Amino acid sequence: MPVPVMTVPGEQSESLSGAAVRAAGLRKTYGGGETAVHALAGVDVAFARGEFTAIMGPSGSGKSTLMHCLAGLDAATAGQVWLGDTELTSLRDDQLTALRRQRIGFVFQAFNLLPVLPARENIVLPMQLAGQRPDPVWFDDVVARLGLRERLGHRPHELSGGQQQRVAIARALLPRPDVVFADEPTGNLDSRSGAEVLGLLRSSVKETGQTVVMVTHDPSAAAYADRVVLLADGRLAGELTDPTAASVLDALRDLGA
Amino acid sequence: MRAVTLASIRAHLPRLIASTLAIVIAVGFVVATLVLNETSRATVLDAVGAPYVGADAVVTSDDGTGLDDELDRIAALDGVAAVDATWESGVQALLPGRTGQQYLLAESVADAPALRWQVVADGELPDAPGEIAVSERTGAAVGDTFPLTSFAPDGTERSSSVTVTGVVDLGGDPTSGIYGRVWGTAEQLRAWGAVDPTELRVAGADGVPAGDVVQQVGAALADRQVLVRTGTEQAEVEAARLTGDTMALTAVLLVFATVAVLVAGLVIANTFAVLLAQRTRELALLRCVGATARQVRRSVLGEAALTGLAASALGVLAGIGLAAGVSAVAEAADSPVPLSGLSVPLVAVVAGLAVGTATTLLAALAPARGATKVAPLAALRPVDPEPLRSRGGVLRLVLGLLLLVPGVLLMGVGVALADVLIALPGGALSFLGVVLLAQRAVPPVVGAVGRLAARLGGVPGRLAAGNATRNPRRTAATATALLIGVTLTTAMVVGAASTRATAQAGLAAQYPTDVIVQGDGTMPASLPGRLAEVDGVVAASSLTAATVTGPDGEETGVSGLDAATAAPVLRSTGDVPIPAAGEVVLPWWADSSWGIPAGGDVTFTAGGRTATLTALYGDVERPTLPVAELAALAPEAAVDTVWLRLADDADHTDVIDQVTDIAGAAMPFAFVTGMANERAAIDSVLDVLLLVVTGLLGVAVVIALIGVGNTLALSVVERRQENGLLRALGLTRTQLRGLLAWESALVAGVAALLGVLLGSFYGLVGVASVLGSYGELVLSMPWLQVGAIVLVATVAGLLASVLPARRAARTPPVAAIAG
Repeated sequence: MPVPVMTVPGEQSESLSGAAVRAAGLRKTYGGGETAVHALAGVDVAFARGEFTAIMGPSGSGKSTLMHCLAGLDAATAGQVWLGDTELTSLRDDQLTALRRQRIGFVFQAFNLLPVLPARENIVLPMQLAGQRPDPVWFDDVVARLGLRERLGHRPHELSGGQQQRVAIARALLPRPDVVFADEPTGNLDSRSGAEVLGLLRSSVKETGQTVVMVTHDPSAAAYADRVVLLADGRLAGELTDPTAASVLDALRDLGA
Repeated sequence: MRAVTLASIRAHLPRLIASTLAIVIAVGFVVATLVLNETSRATVLDAVGAPYVGADAVVTSDDGTGLDDELDRIAALDGVAAVDATWESGVQALLPGRTGQQYLLAESVADAPALRWQVVADGELPDAPGEIAVSERTGAAVGDTFPLTSFAPDGTERSSSVTVTGVVDLGGDPTSGIYGRVWGTAEQLRAWGAVDPTELRVAGADGVPAGDVVQQVGAALADRQVLVRTGTEQAEVEAARLTGDTMALTAVLLVFATVAVLVAGLVIANTFAVLLAQRTRELALLRCVGATARQVRRSVLGEAALTGLAASALGVLAGIGLAAGVSAVAEAADSPVPLSGLSVPLVAVVAGLAVGTATTLLAALAPARGATKVAPLAALRPVDPEPLRSRGGVLRLVLGLLLLVPGVLLMGVGVALADVLIALPGGALSFLGVVLLAQRAVPPVVGAVGRLAARLGGVPGRLAAGNATRNPRRTAATATALLIGVTLTTAMVVGAASTRATAQAGLAAQYPTDVIVQGDGTMPASLPGRLAEVDGVVAASSLTAATVTGPDGEETGVSGLDAATAAPVLRSTGDVPIPAAGEVVLPWWADSSWGIPAGGDVTFTAGGRTATLTALYGDVERPTLPVAELAALAPEAAVDTVWLRLADDADHTDVIDQVTDIAGAAMPFAFVTGMANERAAIDSVLDVLLLVVTGLLGVAVVIALIGVGNTLALSVVERRQENGLLRALGLTRTQLRGLLAWESALVAGVAALLGVLLGSFYGLVGVASVLGSYGELVLSMPWLQVGAIVLVATVAGLLASVLPARRAARTPPVAAIAG
């Protein structure tokens, strides 16, 4: 049985100060008093530039909450988050909004696109919101790599689930964000479309040096990542580098035990 | 299922607020109308009925004569304690502080204390000739003495001096402000020219019921053409005579209340449709766990009934409160509308509750039917983000056209024949058609305007344009509610403007001169100049008069008119032409008595001089020729009449009072006729009507705007995930608020624009068909008001988005993922 490479959480944070995203002492508590739920109970983690990282853990481990806090979608109860050199927890709402649309890309599990806009408009939406024009060469490049050239005029309900998710990836990649967060990007897809989407995320990391952080509960999806960060009960519970589906499954089983 | 219904109302209470508000306003309107009507009736009954309160029986005669002879016969009856004849006459008096004579209505006071109804505010009622009591309107006080002129039946004048012994408080009598009233003894009234009593008031003996008194009196007078009523009946007859107009107003008000209810119905139907669409899964789950379609429908309708009943109850209270407020204001402001206290008829409460509940139930019927079609499986499917597709579109289109086309044709016929009875059903039919077709027509228009907005509004504008059209049915229903209100408001405004223009043209022709001052004999030379200097008089023209011999050899009075000064005074020369040199304007009677056709020659002679002139005909009292030619014919001709034109913005009553005082001081028997007053009165009636009607329709518009806000609020709830996604992708809160503002402005603006177009059309058609038969029609388009309607509706639509937008802006970005 292959032994996962375990490291002690937090020790690496200093050496990774050049990380794309990192968090220190991150806590998120819902409710108060005796009924308080600690979704994150003090997490220190860092994600290197140009790396594809998967966050994994059992249901309720806090993996989605961690991603929301890292992406500036949700405010942490305590602790700090840095995107590059920018400290997120001290930003005001509109500063966070501007940061999201310029430096962070999102791919969600479902309801990823605005139903009233055709694919092309959905892709350029964050840049338009920021008042920027996309680089046409880069746009063509992204659209070609995602195989969307024929689909740009279609509205979301005219696209398959896999196509919709590819439009979402194109939208996430277009502004060349510091990091792309993907939340269960294959959760609603059949296995073939899922593999296609993961392959595209993988290749964007390989070919353009994009940093990608993905939350998933699917070991075979995590196997596409360079590194897997394991979470349990709101705490970091170890990590794996160069994971395979089998090694991830084993690590998860160890967590459950 | 009852538990589910109640729990559902509790859970969705915030979302029901808008429909509740719509019902509250609509029901409040209905109830306030009914309550105000009843209050007005009661007030008038109180005031007008005052003379009949102490009377057990009142006798009036059909032909107004012969009552005097019956006094003794009635007094002799067993059941009668006292009988009194009421004498009326008109007198002129020079009241303290005034220099011109005023008309006063004189009435007798009863001898019997039981039949004296007057409430004395100060002093006491008169007991002897020479003593009078006055109403507050006269401005006289106890102890005042002033000259009074009365007229015998043959027209001879008699002047006497009277002393005020008392001042009478007439309470809420709607006529108390129009002219002053004086009371004297019966003997005094007969001396002032009263010939026959107007009525006999009878007080029954102690313990004899009014009905018996009426019966006895009726039997005694069976041989006479008289009517015998109880005092209460007589009061009601008098009140009805006075409130006939009020009743018409109530009818009009109820029409507007109907419009408000209709619009509220649309808003409610919309709310329930959206609420149920959101609860598809919930309803399907109910079906899954064993609820039948019937049970689901009953639950939904039960929810509607409870909401409707609760809101109607609030509406009834609001309506009564509103009526109380209006009544209090009217009383405090001494308004001519007779309102005092508050009378709440039971029918108003019942009608309010019934109308509100029934409207809500009816409005919820279609959504409830839709709810029963939810398949149990829907609970297991993920939420369908697909927009609702409009069904029954073809049926709607066909039905709409079937109503619209014949309706428009009927209106065309109505306009052509100037028959409102043909145009009206045409208008109703076509408007129903329009409302049906609006469901189809509005979304494309919103889409087209939306493309414009997308260009102007950046990303939020573009998203808003998309959002506004993604659920065409809801957009259409929201817009239709506003469309109805705006259409009717505009139709009224346009119709009233044209009516006013037409009426003004007609009035100018009918009353070309604002004020006519006629002297009693020769006028002091300085008077015309002094009249022209009165503030508010913009032009004056003096007419000379002389007596000459006409073509039939008889003497006739003629007038000399100065064309140069008369032209600016006359508002219209349609009916009163100005004679040019060598012409004379003859009154219509000259046609038959002198037999001179228009264009024929007419010769006048005076003192051996003759003048032969070409005849014209017009609305003049006497033959009127140019002043220079009259001077040549009759050198003694002197000024006896002055025509005045008043400034349009002057207080006409005030100016006429001043003119009366100046003329009266110079010539005690000067006669001042103010047509300006009549015109101003008609004008201001139209103004007030327009204002009232616009205000009333405004209620419908307010309800419709609540609907706009409601639809947005529901969209915000529905699109929580989507708004979260937008926030996650970088839409700022301000941009999100802008998005909703654009959406709201789009729907409201388009509805207002279409409504204004439709309303203008209906208004013009209405005016053309109503007034077409009254001759010359002047169409007028009040651009300013119409523009204001579009602006106000759009801005109000924007305001309606404020609360939903605040809520939307609070959507956390995480909502995109958390759902």
